[in-house]
Amino acid sequence: PQIMIFLFPPLRETAEAMAYSLSLSLLYLGLLCGNGPVYARGSELFTPDPSRGPHFTGCRSREQETFRCWWSTGTFQNLTEPGALRVFYQTKNANEWQECPDYTRTVKNECYFNKTFTHIWTSYCIHLRSVPQNITYDEACFTVENIVHPDPPIGLNWTLLNVSRSGLHFDALLRWAPPPSADVQMGWMSLVYQVQYRIRNASHWEMLDLESGTQQSIYGLHTDKEYEVRVRCKMSAFDNFGEFSDSIIVHVAQIPSKDSTFPTTLVLIFGVIGVAILLVLLIFSQQQRLMVIFLPPIPAPKIKGIDPELLKNGKLDQLNSLLSSQDMYKPDFYHEDPWVEFIQLDLDDPAEKNESSDTQHLLGLSRSGSSHILNFKSDDDSGRASCYDPELPNPEDLASLLPGHSGRGENHPLVSRSSSSIPDLGVQQTSEVEETPIQTQPAVPSWVNMDFYAQVSDFTPAGGVVLSPGQLNSSPEKKKEEENEKKIQFQLLSDGAYTSENTARQLDVPPSPGPEQGYQAFPTQAVEGNLWNGEYLVSASDSQTPYLLPEAPPAPILPPVSDYTVVQEVDAQHSLLLNPPSSQAAISPHTPNKHLPAMPTMPMGYLTPDLLGNLNP
Amino acid sequence: MTQGSRLYFAVTLMCAFVSIHGVGLNDLLERASQLSDKLHSISTSLTNDLDSHFPPVGRVMMPRPSMCHTSSLQIPNDKDQALKVPEDELLSLARSLLLAWSDPLALLSAEASSLAHPERNTINSKTKELQDNIDSLGAGLEHVFNKMGSSSDNLSSLPFSSNSLGQDKTSRLVNFHFLLSCFRRDSHKIDSFLKVLRCRAAKKRPEMC
Repeated sequence: PQIMIFLFPPLRETAEAMAYSLSLSLLYLGLLCGNGPVYARGSELFTPDPSRGPHFTGCRSREQETFRCWWSTGTFQNLTEPGALRVFYQTKNANEWQECPDYTRTVKNECYFNKTFTHIWTSYCIHLRSVPQNITYDEACFTVENIVHPDPPIGLNWTLLNVSRSGLHFDALLRWAPPPSADVQMGWMSLVYQVQYRIRNASHWEMLDLESGTQQSIYGLHTDKEYEVRVRCKMSAFDNFGEFSDSIIVHVAQIPSKDSTFPTTLVLIFGVIGVAILLVLLIFSQQQRLMVIFLPPIPAPKIKGIDPELLKNGKLDQLNSLLSSQDMYKPDFYHEDPWVEFIQLDLDDPAEKNESSDTQHLLGLSRSGSSHILNFKSDDDSGRASCYDPELPNPEDLASLLPGHSGRGENHPLVSRSSSSIPDLGVQQTSEVEETPIQTQPAVPSWVNMDFYAQVSDFTPAGGVVLSPGQLNSSPEKKKEEENEKKIQFQLLSDGAYTSENTARQLDVPPSPGPEQGYQAFPTQAVEGNLWNGEYLVSASDSQTPYLLPEAPPAPILPPVSDYTVVQEVDAQHSLLLNPPSSQAAISPHTPNKHLPAMPTMPMGYLTPDLLGNLNP
Repeated sequence: MTQGSRLYFAVTLMCAFVSIHGVGLNDLLERASQLSDKLHSISTSLTNDLDSHFPPVGRVMMPRPSMCHTSSLQIPNDKDQALKVPEDELLSLARSLLLAWSDPLALLSAEASSLAHPERNTINSKTKELQDNIDSLGAGLEHVFNKMGSSSDNLSSLPFSSNSLGQDKTSRLVNFHFLLSCFRRDSHKIDSFLKVLRCRAAKKRPEMC
């Protein structure tokens, strides 16, 4: 009652009648409209429920100008004949029930309300009745605008907006037209549209926002994929969507060329940059270590010798032991010097001699009786070790020189010589063969005093070496008395021989005819040979040829002249001085005894054992 | 400060100038139809909110739509009639409807906060929004009327005399819902009339419709 009064203020005079009818109708509705909505705002076409009796399945309007309603008979099969069920409707304007204006002939159980019978903003109620029994099976009430389901849009097409730089994505612009049934131009219906798309044959549709216009863009689609697109519409501010339009396919083929190169170049560039950054970081972090590896510190010169730290800080006895063990100035140093070769000869005593010369050994000859050649100590020593080694020469080596031992298989000239009055070796004047090698023992000091070089004057046809005696000077004059013809011979003969004058003296020329003849044939040429000899060692400043012995050729007695002199100094004009200018004339005597002690400095790279002896601590 | 006040003055002057000489009719109608569309959508959503938790018994008790207080207004019922109605009559109809709902909406917004409904807050806010929109639309339609230069201003009067929705909460809820549904329908009418008016006025630019 309250509601009635509320609703019908101007109708109070008919309030009672109205109230009665309305309450009756409400009761009726309440009894019968248990399931169906009283106000079907958005009635859907639901599938007929076979368990129920006859009922409405839905009402729809397509353009807000006409509408249709459908019903089904349900379980009541005896009502299937046409006309058994009838539809009556009632609008709010007219209170009487009117029957369906048009039962559609083509469609079963459809009632069509055309334009004349459709009123907008008017509520309708329809009844499904069976007239013979006067039973209303179903009822529905609605207003037309609430049951509008627009037709699908038409003319859906798409155009390509752009393709991404990588060629992987593209944007598409969709266009469509409103359904022709909807009168949008006059503003009778205002539609909004909804676009849906999906990858072809996928299950899920992507939905875009409602669009009031007739075009929409889709962004971010993948190339090389096919998309299905459809659109539907509804009245704005209403909830009833129409049917979907037919789907169209949107597809853009992928352009392969740009794709493949672009990312790979980018990746390469970034990779290189990353590696460079890493390297720089590594270098900076490991700077110290890398500096050591790549630019190693220049090592300090490793002077073989004493650690400087030890020198600074070490104790005295340590230093002493170190220095003594260094052997820097020891004779061992001498061993490594290859160019220093020493022919161990005894300067003073002609008796002592080595029978075969070094050259003879080089030539590989063995001189038996005809050797005028000095015999040196065995080659094992190279004539050196025994020079400056203060220890005695190996007795075995000396014994090999003996004829009995003949390690070399050659007749030692010493033997032969000894047979023919060997001059004494400086100590004894014995002709004992055995003693000669032994006598070399005390001859060692005299060896030390010997001049180690003798000029080889000539080679004999037999392969022997003719030695020229050394330079004539006053010092060996004391030996001149000892020597006789032999010296003369040797002086005459030798031309650039590689023996010293001492050995030349010592050489005992056996009276063998043949080779000696050859030797003795030389005297005629001796002068020239001596001249030639003289050029050998004489310095430019030295006008005199020390080997030129004007008196040499005729004089039988000649003091032994050494053809080799020791280069004492090099003066300012880069000339070799064979004698220190202060001490003597150009002629430099061979006696190391005199000179070596007088020698203030070491000669250029030439150290005699005397020097060594001087230097030895 | 002076600069700000000067700016404000200039803006108001410009607005007044614009409002007097105004924008064109088409733009006004465009704006009005937009507002009416918004009005209609708010009322639809509000009705949906109410329907979400509406007791079934309320449906039974719901009065018929013909019992809305604006049902007496004679309006075109279909498209052909609507297209035949002259423009000023359409406008007056729209304005009459709009005018008829200012009071009921005030009542609704007053009652919305005490509704026995779980969506009360949303309903309340939306109702207030409705009220604001109706006022602005009414003002806009008045401008349109002035722009159109009609001679007579024949607005129908549709009074609404109730000042309460009911005594118990169920009836209040039901009445609330009923009023709202009536309003929704009337907002649709207003919207439709204005759209027809807009499309009729914008013959030169059919793309607007």
